[in-house]
Amino acid sequence: MGLLSILIFLPLIALALILALPNTAKSSYKYIALGFTVLQLGIALYIYQNFQGAQAGVNILSDFQFLEQASWIRLDLGAIGKLEIDYLIGLDGISLPLIVLSALVMLMGVGASWNIDKSPKGYFALLMLLNTAVMGIFCALDFFLFYVFYEVMLFPLYFLIGIWGGVRREYAAIKFFLYTLLGSVFMLLVIVGLYFSVTNPETGAHTFNMLHMMNPSNYVDGSFFSFIANYHEVLGIPARLIGFIILFFAFAIKVPIVPLHTWLPDAHVEAPTPVSIILAGILLKIGGYGIIRVCYSIFPDMAALTNWWLALIGIISILYGALNALAQKDLKRMIAYSSVSHMGFVLLGIASLTAEGISGAMFQMISHGFLSAALFFLVGVIYDRVHDRYIYNFRGLAGIMPKYTACVAIVFFASLGLPGFSAFIGEAFVIIGTFNAQSMTTGIPRWMAIAGSAGIFLSAAYFLWTLQRMFFGQTRLQGGTAWASALTDLNRRELLILVPTISLALILGIVPSLVFGKLNASILKLIDIINPYI
Amino acid sequence: MNTALTNILDQIINSVPLFKPELALITGFVISIFSSLFLTKIYKHSTYITTLLSLIAVGYLLFDQIGQTATGFSESWIVDPLSSYARIIIVLSAFVITIFIKHRHSCNNGDVYSVLLAAVLGTHVLSSTSNWLLAFIGIEMVSIASYILVGYFSKNKIQAEAAMKYALFGSVCAAVMLYGLSLVYGLTGDLNFEATAHLQGLMDAPELIVSLALLFVFVGIGFKLGFVPFHVWTPDVYQGAPTSITAFLSTIPKVGALILFARLYRSWSSTDFYFSELLEWYMVVVAIATMLIGNLAALRQQDAKRMMAYSSIGHTGFLLMAIYAYQDSAAFLFFYISAYVLMNLAAFLFIDQLEQRTGSTAINSYAGLGKKMPILFTAFSLVCISLVGLPPTIGFMGKLMVFSALFDFTGAYDNTAVILLLAVGALTSVISLFFYFRIPLYAFLRKSEDHAKQRIAPNTLLYVSYAFTILLIFFGLFPSFLIDLFN
Repeated sequence: MGLLSILIFLPLIALALILALPNTAKSSYKYIALGFTVLQLGIALYIYQNFQGAQAGVNILSDFQFLEQASWIRLDLGAIGKLEIDYLIGLDGISLPLIVLSALVMLMGVGASWNIDKSPKGYFALLMLLNTAVMGIFCALDFFLFYVFYEVMLFPLYFLIGIWGGVRREYAAIKFFLYTLLGSVFMLLVIVGLYFSVTNPETGAHTFNMLHMMNPSNYVDGSFFSFIANYHEVLGIPARLIGFIILFFAFAIKVPIVPLHTWLPDAHVEAPTPVSIILAGILLKIGGYGIIRVCYSIFPDMAALTNWWLALIGIISILYGALNALAQKDLKRMIAYSSVSHMGFVLLGIASLTAEGISGAMFQMISHGFLSAALFFLVGVIYDRVHDRYIYNFRGLAGIMPKYTACVAIVFFASLGLPGFSAFIGEAFVIIGTFNAQSMTTGIPRWMAIAGSAGIFLSAAYFLWTLQRMFFGQTRLQGGTAWASALTDLNRRELLILVPTISLALILGIVPSLVFGKLNASILKLIDIINPYI
Repeated sequence: MNTALTNILDQIINSVPLFKPELALITGFVISIFSSLFLTKIYKHSTYITTLLSLIAVGYLLFDQIGQTATGFSESWIVDPLSSYARIIIVLSAFVITIFIKHRHSCNNGDVYSVLLAAVLGTHVLSSTSNWLLAFIGIEMVSIASYILVGYFSKNKIQAEAAMKYALFGSVCAAVMLYGLSLVYGLTGDLNFEATAHLQGLMDAPELIVSLALLFVFVGIGFKLGFVPFHVWTPDVYQGAPTSITAFLSTIPKVGALILFARLYRSWSSTDFYFSELLEWYMVVVAIATMLIGNLAALRQQDAKRMMAYSSIGHTGFLLMAIYAYQDSAAFLFFYISAYVLMNLAAFLFIDQLEQRTGSTAINSYAGLGKKMPILFTAFSLVCISLVGLPPTIGFMGKLMVFSALFDFTGAYDNTAVILLLAVGALTSVISLFFYFRIPLYAFLRKSEDHAKQRIAPNTLLYVSYAFTILLIFFGLFPSFLIDLFN
């Protein structure tokens, strides 16, 4: 049992504990959840400390750190051959920052759940199950294992949104589930296809090992997804392109890209605050991570072929998301659309196929991870107090909630990409990478970089306008004096969650090497894999 | 003349050991009739005990036959891994269903057990023969037994109607099938569908007649398997029959018919001639239609049992896909069958528990019950997850294996039919999520109107269903334990 396994399965122990304790010990559930997530963050930070940034990983197994390998399922299927599934987990520069981010956001999520009083047993148990699944996704290097965690993640989310959500929770929960499942079921078909196309060079058996799938020489000649001389076509489209598109489609739903984003505003608006935090902070990142780890690493040839389209989708998401955010009257919906816009940068950066661009995309994921978590937490603050979050129902909040206003202002400025905060680094690197792409001949024209910058401008517009509408001017509230007395300023618990997050945004904005130092080698390696096909 | 007779006698005597489990079944059948007639007055559960004991005996004899490959009774009785495993699955599920019936219908039930044993015998015949005559006898045995079982406990009009519909529909299908068989026999002069003469006859026959004969034969098998368009009886019968009998209908007869169909398909689809091609296309079209119609129709159901009926139609489509890919190794087929049986039995056990509690099988009667019965509904939700085919459950492994088998199907990469099957199989999984998840949706997400605090008292059936749920997860995480049995 290595450190990573402990990290993944620690929440399951918490889950067992929570389930085992009787309902009379209700108040202890949140402490158990808190204790275990703090422990998890400790382990994650320890792993971060001991991670060697020089080792690239990506497609070389021995370069992965904290590696654990055990054979899990060995099935003899007769004519179909042997099914070889490993419990294979490990970290490289791409997964490490996301692991730390997940541990952090999970802790924020538990902190935001402090006042949950509707069946806390089920709530915290599901939260812990979600925690395990998320950690597993980022660690898994076996495609089958990855898929199992990926699907297991859906059940707790469905129930968390469906039971503890808002008015239209049933609709939002099932919509979220169906969208993701639609992507992942077809992903399963591609996984099966890849499985039959790839053999393990050591045993000769077919394998689900992702790293073997990244090596062109492991592909069986003439197999469905074989690298060289592949004449297989489905409906006139080359097989590898189909495989790439299906996998991209599955992860793009998670990112989400326009036009597959419609589940996101619904899910966010209906989900309770902690679940919104986790959704925005971690789950959207699974999409970006999947594109890098799976689509780009396993199908580098197709990545080079399609990057213009991916970048275009990124641009559309940035602009469409931003314009939508501008039009929203519900604060939470606005932030949900801002997520669509910010995640568009991730896609644009990845598609630029330059080291700056992909690093920027990774940085943007991390930065957006805790900033969006902070944003949703801030929405939760007023929603908790007056159960309303309509932008026009509030005015001049600065007068009655000064600390809250300060936090909102800082997080808004950080999110819109003010230099000195983390989002600036991410967005700037993405734009630089996209701008350089033309000289690197990766096929991304310069106007895309300019369109991306327009997105930054738009995000400034909607954030500042919201700030102006809600916080400045004379205090006028829809609910009158009842609201005025309910809207107390941030309490100590809330500050305890927000201040570290804001400081983190500042620290990463000033010392971005904290992240770049760990992921640089891996990004360069990834570029190396794709470069021959450009 | 004399030597011929001796030869035949010799062969029959030599074949008897292959027939041991069935002999045990017949003995059990006869004893259970007598015990229900005479012993019930002395000891109420005598027939029940007899049935269980005979099933155990059959199971024991079947375990002896594992690994054997032999034919008997002039090639009409086949004992091979396909039949042995199928019969073991059948006997095990019959065992559970017997317990199920005993707990739900404790009085006046003596004859039910003997009828159940007869049905089991019928499915045994179906799964171990390649002879049309025996196959037809098997189908009729199962069908007649099923008609009786459906109608046996009928208390109201709906149940009687279900039984009547079933019997009428079944007899017509059987008649059509018999007509088809007479055509096939006329064309080939041989009753063994695996024999060379049989295939030769089909090759030489005019295309029109072959198409017609195949279609007619399909009608009979289609009725037992419940694939489109012969599925129309299932929803009414599943809903109308007592839940324990529905559990029987959705599992045991299907396994038998499926094995027969797998044998038939394998031997007929392997030639390059017209009838093979035709059969393949029938199969693909029927599989796709069955998956789509089963899953789409289930979306609109308000009753859990009716929904399960459409769900089992959908799973039949999936099983047809598995048969389409079936070549030499049947391991994946058995894995999916076991998964299917396990999931269905568990689902019906839960439906029955809730029926006892609320007196209804309507899905909206589950509203808000998740809070009152958290363990039951968590387990039920896991069964639903398995039925959709999501990890980490046995349903997922089963689906994965069928997809794998289909994908690896010889030279299938550019085969439109295979791609189409895979895509529809994946798509219907997504559709099925929608209706299976209505159960947790109502249980956990909706508020309940009834405020009764009444709980389900722990009972044997509840423990059985929990055990099944644990098995679903266990085999989902460690499928090797199950599939190694079939190798």
